[in-house]
Amino acid sequence: MIAALHQAAARHGMAVPLIVGAVLLVLWPTAFSTAYDLRVFTLAGIYALLVIGYQFVFGHAGALALTQGAFFGLGAYVTGILGARYGQGFVVTFPLSIVVPILLAAVVASPVLRLDTHYFALATLGVAQVLLLVALLAEPLTGGANGIPGVPGVELLGTPVPRGLPLAGFVWAWVILGALVARQLLRGLYGTAFHVMRDNPMLAACLGLDTGRLRLAAFLLSAAYAGAAGSLFVHTIRVVSPEALEFHVMVAVLAMAVVGGRTRIAGAILGAFLLVHLPEWFRVFEKSYLIAYGAILLAMIVFAPDGLIGRLERWFPPAPAPLPEPEPLPKRHPIQGEGPLLALQGVVKSFGGVRAVAGVSLVVRRHEILGLIGPNGSGKTTLINLITGLVRVDSGTIRFVGTPINGLRPDAIARRGLARSFQAATLVEGLTALDNVAVARATAEGVGMRRALRASWSDPSLARARRHAMTLLNALGAGDAASCEAGTLPHGVRRRVEIARALALQPALLLLDEPAAGLSETEQADLADRLAAVREAGTTLIVVEHNMPFLARLADRLVCLNEGKVIASGRPEDVRADPKVIEAYLGRAGVSS
Amino acid sequence: MRRLVGLALCLGLALPAATPVNAETSIPILVPITGFLSLEGTSQRNGAVLALRNAPAGVTVKYEISDTGVAPEVAVNALERALGRGRVSAVVASMLGTQMLAMLPVALEQKVPLVTVSGTAAITERGNPYVFRFFPGDAVVKAAHVRYAAEELRARKLAVIYQTTAYGQSGRQHIADNARRHGLEIVFEEGIETQVRDMSPVLGKARAANPDVLLLHLHAPSTALVIRQAAATSFSAPIVAGSAMHQPPTAALLEPAELKGVCAETNASPVSGGDPAVDRFLEQYRREFGSEPDGFALGQYDGTMMVLEAMARGAQSPAEITRALHSGIHRGLAMTYKSDGRGNMAHSAQIVCYDGQTRIPRVVKRYDDIAPPSN
Amino acid sequence: MLQVIVNGVALGAAYALLALGFVLILNATGAVNFAQGDLVMAGGLLVVAASMVWPVPAIVLLPLVLGLMALLGLALSLLAYFPLKSQPPVAVFISTIAVGIMLQNTANALFGAEPRAGPPLLTAGLVELGPVTVSRQALAIIAVAALLIVVQHVLFRHTRLGRVLRATAQDREMAEALGIRVNTVIAGTFAFAAAYAGAAGLLLSNTFFVTPSDGSNYILKAYIAVVIGGWGSVVGALCGAMVIALFEVVFPSLPLVLPGLASLPGASWLFSQTMATILLYVVLLAVLVVRPQGLFGETVQRRA
Repeated sequence: MIAALHQAAARHGMAVPLIVGAVLLVLWPTAFSTAYDLRVFTLAGIYALLVIGYQFVFGHAGALALTQGAFFGLGAYVTGILGARYGQGFVVTFPLSIVVPILLAAVVASPVLRLDTHYFALATLGVAQVLLLVALLAEPLTGGANGIPGVPGVELLGTPVPRGLPLAGFVWAWVILGALVARQLLRGLYGTAFHVMRDNPMLAACLGLDTGRLRLAAFLLSAAYAGAAGSLFVHTIRVVSPEALEFHVMVAVLAMAVVGGRTRIAGAILGAFLLVHLPEWFRVFEKSYLIAYGAILLAMIVFAPDGLIGRLERWFPPAPAPLPEPEPLPKRHPIQGEGPLLALQGVVKSFGGVRAVAGVSLVVRRHEILGLIGPNGSGKTTLINLITGLVRVDSGTIRFVGTPINGLRPDAIARRGLARSFQAATLVEGLTALDNVAVARATAEGVGMRRALRASWSDPSLARARRHAMTLLNALGAGDAASCEAGTLPHGVRRRVEIARALALQPALLLLDEPAAGLSETEQADLADRLAAVREAGTTLIVVEHNMPFLARLADRLVCLNEGKVIASGRPEDVRADPKVIEAYLGRAGVSS
Repeated sequence: MRRLVGLALCLGLALPAATPVNAETSIPILVPITGFLSLEGTSQRNGAVLALRNAPAGVTVKYEISDTGVAPEVAVNALERALGRGRVSAVVASMLGTQMLAMLPVALEQKVPLVTVSGTAAITERGNPYVFRFFPGDAVVKAAHVRYAAEELRARKLAVIYQTTAYGQSGRQHIADNARRHGLEIVFEEGIETQVRDMSPVLGKARAANPDVLLLHLHAPSTALVIRQAAATSFSAPIVAGSAMHQPPTAALLEPAELKGVCAETNASPVSGGDPAVDRFLEQYRREFGSEPDGFALGQYDGTMMVLEAMARGAQSPAEITRALHSGIHRGLAMTYKSDGRGNMAHSAQIVCYDGQTRIPRVVKRYDDIAPPSN
Repeated sequence: MLQVIVNGVALGAAYALLALGFVLILNATGAVNFAQGDLVMAGGLLVVAASMVWPVPAIVLLPLVLGLMALLGLALSLLAYFPLKSQPPVAVFISTIAVGIMLQNTANALFGAEPRAGPPLLTAGLVELGPVTVSRQALAIIAVAALLIVVQHVLFRHTRLGRVLRATAQDREMAEALGIRVNTVIAGTFAFAAAYAGAAGLLLSNTFFVTPSDGSNYILKAYIAVVIGGWGSVVGALCGAMVIALFEVVFPSLPLVLPGLASLPGASWLFSQTMATILLYVVLLAVLVVRPQGLFGETVQRRA
């Protein structure tokens, strides 16, 4: 029996524990069915909904928002005021309790979402505090510190939902609905996009993902769930008071997300269930149960930082999925017009007192492979960063197919057809090589909330993106590594996967930052061949390199930078022999050699 | 395997919560022992426990103490849990207004009386016959508060500093009503949060308005801060504080000299002595709990005792006890209690004053049978 | 007016010690110590307990409190920081929240929830400064806080130990490569920050009392001070603390100082403490939006 369970687990990963957990959850209220037990169970459901919502912004978007309690309280007050003062029923209070927090989130989002972690946390905390003060002061509306008693319970079609098992069932039905919606949104390509964004926002932008939009979506979703939970809360306890807006609610939600697992819906449910029940179970300790609560929270974060579900996932790892059939990518629209693909004119960039790029003008012709060389610190990587929009030019223009692109955001530039690889490895650990490449297809697949919601049981966008990714990995000779987790890959394979990922954007212009670094000679030769094939297929390349032999074979033209200026440009053999170039690399004494 | 063990552990922990206790009558004590009201909650607890230990002959009642913390749903959870464990005849309930309001519907549904010393929030105005408050409501104490200023201190102009909590906002309203009734003018009024530390701005503004008397309606920490800083800046007008002042731990924060001329309203001040029965209570309280009792403890003692005496006279079920509480008269230690029909049992208040020599105040005025102003 | 300023500066000076410890840990570890406020409370209760055993002015007890709080800071680092070194900073955020909860409730269990008064630094009473009387305690607070801040400055800027601390804060890996015992340095920073937080608690305990639940209020102030002043800047933290005290004390007193303001319609509500709190948060949000690096911080790199 145990052996059979073990076998099933090995084959199905987390499916077995999740099913067991679901069964236990359903059986719980039948085993613990006093009014008290059911009330606590109902509260657990309300918090579960709240935490599932929080996972959008905290877990998936990776932003430490401290507004979840405030949105919860806001939803609670909307229901309280409409229910007690205006006699509105559930059908009115519930939707409005969702809408009002979304509106507040939308208003607050614009200035706040672009802030970095700690600033963002504090800004959201400030918003929450202001909301609390408003609730305390606006006595005529909110009842002040006393709150508003006498909120009616849930009434559907004229019949009240009785407290106890029916109400618990009602609340948990919403939890299940919320969980399904969350799963639907996040299991496909959309969810993978979030994963990349929270791991490395800069990379996400270079893959064409609009990180601002993703964060906003997460923020609004979390507000919506919080409002729903707040409404259910007030209909359950039938009184609303400023305690619903206080910081301890936020701390509880944070603790539940951490204890359960930041990105797993099962974790939200488990965390909420445990942390709502724990203080009740610890009642026997009278005064010191909160000390125990703190100790448990500390123990959890120290010993199980991925949460309990994360720990469980380590014991029940998923069986590796079979590799998808490679599918060729759709044809890319050819670039219109004539003229150079990329034109830089007098581009200048200084960092503080250092002039990294001091007036660079160059032209990249269609379908050529341009090599960009120069000693360390000559401005090569800065130039790439300027072209791809990670850094803003101080002056000068960069034109792509005739249109200026300096000043655009990196994701906009990526969507126009520029892709790049990075000097340091930037694969997302925790994703397979296949998914690392597949996520770059997100923009092409038109990934977004609406599409994620409409998808059927298995997301076709994700499946298709994976098939495309398979093709690309094969083209770069990394097909065998497709199902390996990115962190386990050797250096050479990582490089290929990165290039495959950049190619997944089907760029007109591909910028490679030292692609041959760290590769053996055989690997270098192989890479050069593959890059030549990429050019044959219609992509223009700019390759930044130190490795002369590698570049000499591959590049049509070389441009040499030194101290932020172009000092030579032309055919590879001419540039290599240019005395200025030799002096830049080796110093004056090297000219003679 | 590990999972099964873990699951068994969880169930095992939860089981005590689920098994019903045997059917002896009990009076659960559900009060805030943690959180910002824990001082008052502990007084409630001690007063109730003392009464249960002094229960009249023939009355055996179990009691279990449960913390209600700060949030309303925690109090309701505690109530539901207590009601699920055996036969409950009455409940000693948290004096925090928002928690009382949340517990009222449950008490109504289960038809169990709640005995509390909550002075604020409109808990007796919801038409719920199962709530009994053994502490004079704001309507009563604020009437005494203002009346003392008007009649004894001959004030014409009042300055009021209140807390921005439920307690404070409720009291402020009643102070305003009573001031109007006595024809007094409120020349300064400001609400401060519980976290405010430096009182010099608000005291300065109060002083600038030139009041005859400064009325405080604050919780203990803010009260002590105001009085300390008022003494430090030689605030001239006499100060009459709210109930929080009479609590011995509040006085313990201040030097006797800082308390000179300060008065406070309260239901009773057991440490002031003067009555043999109260002295016996004082002595027993000190012995059993090692601390000084305040008016909340005394009020909760009286309320619990009224329930126990009703049980001694034959009331068994919660319904009978409720009836007894509605119709009876109880000569308690602090005052005589009688319901006004809505569950307000206490209608007297006292003013105590500190002479600057000790931290123990003297009772200087009693007001009985105060009717709230009709407005 | 002078009285208001002295009170404001005294409060700001105490807050400055709290913010200073907070920013030191932030610099050394990149982590937010959410228990910093509870450490202030712990220091206050320590001096209350010590004075119950040994009733002397608080200035005598200061070294004892500094020492004991340093040990507590060490314990905090062992519980909440070192086990989570390799985790992202949010993990330390949460672990310090947890330790804060434990501190607060242990204090509650040991001392009860009611406020306690600590002993005065020297003696209570007033002092004449020209035409105005100010409280002796306020002046003593300013003096002691200033002394401690100067000590920190000298220690960090002009000693080898200070250089080592700053190097670790700037680039931990490099410091390790140079042979600096980074772990010891970090533990030392925690001890230092806790000691200073305890000193803040001691300074505040007499005029403002100590309650176990004070912690959450203080940490909010530290956080705000550091953001307004500049994330990672020591000078910024001090200035930010002063700004907070300005809002708490000076702003509500404006109608006293400028009587014209008192006759404005709605003046009582406009210059109330609650409004001062709301305005502080509005300023905070404005700073975050307009100038996230605060007054003295380095330019925040925009997240691409």
